Amino acid sequence: MSQNRWLATGNFFTSYKQEQRTFFTHLDRTIFTCFLVLLFGWPLVFEISNKYMLVLDNILIAIVAVMGLNLLLGFAGLISIGHAAFVGIGAYTVASVCQVIGENHVIVTHFWPVLIVCAGIMGAIFGAFVGLPALRLKHLYLAIATLSFQMIFEWFIQFMSFFNQGQTIYVGRAHWFTGQVGRSEHYLFWYYIILIIVVVLGFGVRNLLKTKYGRCLVAVRDNDRAADAMGMNPGLTKVYAFALAGFFAGVAGALHAYLYRGVGFDSFTLHHSVAYLAMAIVGGLGTLNGIFWGPVAIKYLDLQVEQFSELAGHYLTYAPNVATALKPLSFGLVIVLFLMYEPRGIANWWRIVKSYTKLWPFRY
Amino acid sequence: MKSKTALIFNALLVIVFVFAFTLPAFAGKTYKLGMSLAITGPTSDAGNPYAKGSEDWFKFVNETDYLGDGDKIDCPIRDDQYKNDITKRFFEEFLDDEILIFLSYATGGNLALKRDFEEVQIPVIPASYHEGLIVDANYTFMPVATYSENAVSLAEYVVDKHKGTDTPKVAFFIHPSAFGRGPLEDTQKAVSLGLGIDIVEVVEHGTDLDNTAMLQRLESKGVQYVICHTVQTPVATMLTDAQRLGVTATSFGEKGKLTFLGAHYTGGSDLIALAGTATEGFIWADSYNLTSENNEGAKKQLELAERYGRDDKAANSHNYGAGILAAQIATEAIKETKKAGLKMTRENIYKTMQTLNFESFAAAGPVTYSPTERIGVDVQNIYVAQDGVFKKIQSFESQYIQKVRASR
Repeated sequence: MSQNRWLATGNFFTSYKQEQRTFFTHLDRTIFTCFLVLLFGWPLVFEISNKYMLVLDNILIAIVAVMGLNLLLGFAGLISIGHAAFVGIGAYTVASVCQVIGENHVIVTHFWPVLIVCAGIMGAIFGAFVGLPALRLKHLYLAIATLSFQMIFEWFIQFMSFFNQGQTIYVGRAHWFTGQVGRSEHYLFWYYIILIIVVVLGFGVRNLLKTKYGRCLVAVRDNDRAADAMGMNPGLTKVYAFALAGFFAGVAGALHAYLYRGVGFDSFTLHHSVAYLAMAIVGGLGTLNGIFWGPVAIKYLDLQVEQFSELAGHYLTYAPNVATALKPLSFGLVIVLFLMYEPRGIANWWRIVKSYTKLWPFRY
Repeated sequence: MKSKTALIFNALLVIVFVFAFTLPAFAGKTYKLGMSLAITGPTSDAGNPYAKGSEDWFKFVNETDYLGDGDKIDCPIRDDQYKNDITKRFFEEFLDDEILIFLSYATGGNLALKRDFEEVQIPVIPASYHEGLIVDANYTFMPVATYSENAVSLAEYVVDKHKGTDTPKVAFFIHPSAFGRGPLEDTQKAVSLGLGIDIVEVVEHGTDLDNTAMLQRLESKGVQYVICHTVQTPVATMLTDAQRLGVTATSFGEKGKLTFLGAHYTGGSDLIALAGTATEGFIWADSYNLTSENNEGAKKQLELAERYGRDDKAANSHNYGAGILAAQIATEAIKETKKAGLKMTRENIYKTMQTLNFESFAAAGPVTYSPTERIGVDVQNIYVAQDGVFKKIQSFESQYIQKVRASR
């Protein structure tokens, strides 16, 4: 290691253990700690309206979902166009429990952390099952297989009376040590819960990638035959990549169910799957920080385009269809532009900034 | 002399400042409402004129000092693009703005927010007439008869007008969602309670552009009546196909042919624009007064549209009338609360709405609410498409829907 642990300059490792460190310098750790303190502390200082808290909570949930998709698509190289369906599996796991035992049952209201984990496990089971075609299929063919899962999910939910034919199934209010989480603190409460989950899962992904299981994902992505020759099990790796992605999506779905206090079919459509895919691409596939950049960028873009489209809708009263087209048009345009000019996503900008500061105080 | 001028100048300045700061106090109060609906995106063909109707009515109220004392209504209209998540966000935004009444839109969005409405105790006027919105709900005030009421009424109308002693054979053509299935289930309940129709087949339509096979199958099963509960586009496709195949009845209940009937969102001037002459003979149940009726109410609707420069398409749309009615209910609630000398709070508005009773030019009958009744206009008009417009045949109030509700 370098003599000065605060600087990245001159960083070199003398053991594998050193290379496994989460933070290479004290500066990294300090910045990260400050950032976390900021994320946890700002709601105590600034009062923000429920509307914006809902937006923030949504972004955090999207981050959880995109973490799974990035593991699958970015690290394991397996495409999925049915990620929203996996999120839906998580949400409908909570909804099913509510349907069977009642939305205000103590299991729903008090044991919500257990339900969230169960939703993740259910997502993982479905993920592993849907991942089975990945043993035989690749690229576009695999994309079609996952797309068909999305279609089956939508059809299934819309036609089963148990799932209220896609209409909202209500979820009771969560309880905390201080009692029921009331309406006024609902969004703030879930902000903290989701933030904690994001941090825990973020570290989980970070550590996974340092293990042999994580390296297997990358090896299979780069060349599954070579990975096989080196003693890895590409089939198992692909299935567990799907299971992992399903777990993250399931957790995101359960969080969505609790945040909105209900589960409705229209939050888990193909459109949402494409949006998750866009978040992963724009953020930067196969990067850890891209997981965070993507959802923030796409959700922000979504809000801006929504306002623009709304404005156009008010003025283009004779042509509402034109205003309707503005949103998907601009959304699609951003994706195409990113694919053309920055295929490595926003994470690459972050990498450039970091590599510049890494040399500091030297010029080169 | 110089000091005298300065004194006058200062005095004038003080007067101007005092006037400027106290002027808002005399300008009247502003009551905040919030509206969220699909101006763009799916169903915007209905949401767009609906928004215009509400917007024009609120403009009219403010310009003509309808509330008196210079009081005004401020109702921002937001475009939720038919997405529940966005509706929820707007609702939270409106709550932050402390609105008195929420004017909502879609069935899904309303069902998703139903618990919130009860929790924050806010009166809601939806654009969806799904029966489920008023089940176990106190704060949702349905402007007109529900979709279920439309469907059951049409079934009753078939029984009334069917020629022959046999039980009329009916098929349902519905939207593949809870929106389409709810009214069907209520009609099935009405049948189990004694309504004399035989539901031979239920068709949940997709996005098919050809209905030939379906229509021929219905014919082969001896179906005489097709009751539709969906949106206009699939109905228009079906009517056009029926005309091409020559299976459309030329008179109500013609033997060996199909008579088509539909609920609120299936008909109107938009259906005629889509299906043209194939619409002829289509029977439509709706609680709104149509401009094609050319009565006093229709003239007032057209005047309002003209006043704010709306095109003919919007002015003649029953969705424009629906938007006006929703805005009128909110306006009357505020006006009556004010008249009763009550403080303008959600709680008092809610109290007032429970006994609200007024005539609207946009509706087929009076708006009447009571502590146990959450449907404003119970009367439905049965219209028939004739010579390119919908013409009223009669007013209708369902008998069986009460039995269905009692059986729940």
